[in-house]
Amino acid sequence: MSYEEISHTADVKIRARAKTLESLFSDAFEALMQVVYGKNRSGKQQTVIKVDARDSESLLADFLSEVLFVSEVEGLVFSRADITITGPALTAILYGEPFDPARHSEGTEVKGISYSGLSIREDTNGYILEILFDV
Amino acid sequence: MIEGVRQTGPLEWEVPVGFVPGMRVPGRFFLSESLGKILEEGAIQQLANVATLPGIIKNSLAMPDIHWGYGFPIGGVAAFSLDDGVISPGGVGFDINCGVRLLTTPLAHKDVAGRRDLIDQLFRAVPTGVGAKSPLKGSPRSLDGMMIKGARWAVEAGYGVERDLVRCEEKGFMKEADTRAVSEKAKQRGVPQGGTLGSGNHFLEIQVVSEIYDPAVAKAFGISAGQVCCMIHCGSRGLGHQTCTDHLKVLESATKRYNISLPDRQLACAPIASPEGKAYFGAMAAAANYAWANRQIITHTTRQILAKMFRIEYEDMDLVYDVAHNVAKIEEHTVDGKKMQVCVHRKGATRAFGPGTPDLPDDLAAIGQPVIIPGSMGTSSFVLRGTDTAMERTFGSTCHGAGRVMSRTQAKKRMSGKEVAEILLKKGIIVKAPNENAIADEAPEVYKPSEEVVNVVHDVGISRLVARLSPIGVIKG
Repeated sequence: MSYEEISHTADVKIRARAKTLESLFSDAFEALMQVVYGKNRSGKQQTVIKVDARDSESLLADFLSEVLFVSEVEGLVFSRADITITGPALTAILYGEPFDPARHSEGTEVKGISYSGLSIREDTNGYILEILFDV
Repeated sequence: MIEGVRQTGPLEWEVPVGFVPGMRVPGRFFLSESLGKILEEGAIQQLANVATLPGIIKNSLAMPDIHWGYGFPIGGVAAFSLDDGVISPGGVGFDINCGVRLLTTPLAHKDVAGRRDLIDQLFRAVPTGVGAKSPLKGSPRSLDGMMIKGARWAVEAGYGVERDLVRCEEKGFMKEADTRAVSEKAKQRGVPQGGTLGSGNHFLEIQVVSEIYDPAVAKAFGISAGQVCCMIHCGSRGLGHQTCTDHLKVLESATKRYNISLPDRQLACAPIASPEGKAYFGAMAAAANYAWANRQIITHTTRQILAKMFRIEYEDMDLVYDVAHNVAKIEEHTVDGKKMQVCVHRKGATRAFGPGTPDLPDDLAAIGQPVIIPGSMGTSSFVLRGTDTAMERTFGSTCHGAGRVMSRTQAKKRMSGKEVAEILLKKGIIVKAPNENAIADEAPEVYKPSEEVVNVVHDVGISRLVARLSPIGVIKG
């Protein structure tokens, strides 16, 4: 799992590189949870998310938007995602725990996943992602 | 200055048609030489991208707090024809009707200086930061009230006084709100968050009026030197964020259906009169109303605490004004000598209506709209007034704040939150936040100097300085 935060004045920009699309999405998911809740996350409570979209960028934006929604309304903080992508459809099993202000207040809310600057490119080593979270 | 950009006045710059392919009008922005040194090319690219949108009128504009955002640049303003123009969530942002309001008090600096207990009480009473839940018992019915009637719902529910409403832009609600266009998901997020501040750059600040530039106007606004005021900066919370997310997806498909070609997917849009455009506008207005209700509830909580702690009357804490700085609205403007209705998008920009314009309270009709410009944490905020020049040049708009110059990663590397808080305390500013990162992220140095930004809008004349406020207590979201 690897991603880095790239300098961006207003928001949070993430770059990730992975061998598979699933692994790339998993990196983006981890980056998102890290920004919102910080690093103290664990738990085994399972939640399943399913989304589909017409291209990889939309699929990722929809997936992460759904993670933000479920996390907020269910009051769950996620630490892991097992992702399966089949054509235009994604299924993710998320593992997490109930929000605990004492452990999960290190981060900042992400208001949305932006299409500006969202790119997924493929090269001989795998996939490269750039994505912007509005904070 | 960035290559291809032309200076057209001492504080005015033009991005000519052709800077990016498909521009329909030039871009125009207002900036001093020193602010020009920290201008990002990405922001100008975004300003130019907006100029490619169908039905844009006159110019794609940016205020001196311009910086790199998503879709529109932050600080961006654009008006669109109702006949052939578009509406875009990229010109409003995820935090619909993020805005700011200023409340006066009858207290003087000496009454509140060093009162950490005030900051502690406000911090406890106003839910702040990630995962914060409302102290109210929210319900789908109260949510509908918030979305339809905005600040009026809150006042009718006991969270304020009637006078507050005339001191809000749009009197605290947009009549175009359509709750049917707000998804169940957005509503689910909205119910438990009424009266919460949120995180990021949102804040509740205790300030002192430290300088008066225009005594007559300050008096009309109810502001006097040495007076303690309270500034509240927040938006529509998860309900607004979800509304933007949902409609962005719908409008992305609509963009293709209406054969609109875009340089940036975040500028997804649809004709204003199309079903998709109308649905977004109705939902956006509902979320904007939620934000006005939200700020009204926080105002009520703040007044209650100040009244009890300092034995002052609730009714003696007047609202100066409440402005939205992320919103799209149908407004009347004069274009080529003709009055017409247009759809003005303000993304990190503030309405600054001049004297004699509709929607101003009667007692301010001859003066112009109060404009509230928050500074960054620990730096000055400003009150200005709207002008005729703004009506002529910027569709009645001005800047919205300081504008970041440093990323959050750089900010955290530079100084810890604890260090920032200690430095501010030495300056007489008490800061409280849910975590240290929130303080480090928002340190004064990560923003453009707010004074330089407001000096530009003052000198250009798109709003005029009235008063400066200096912080003494900050609750960070």
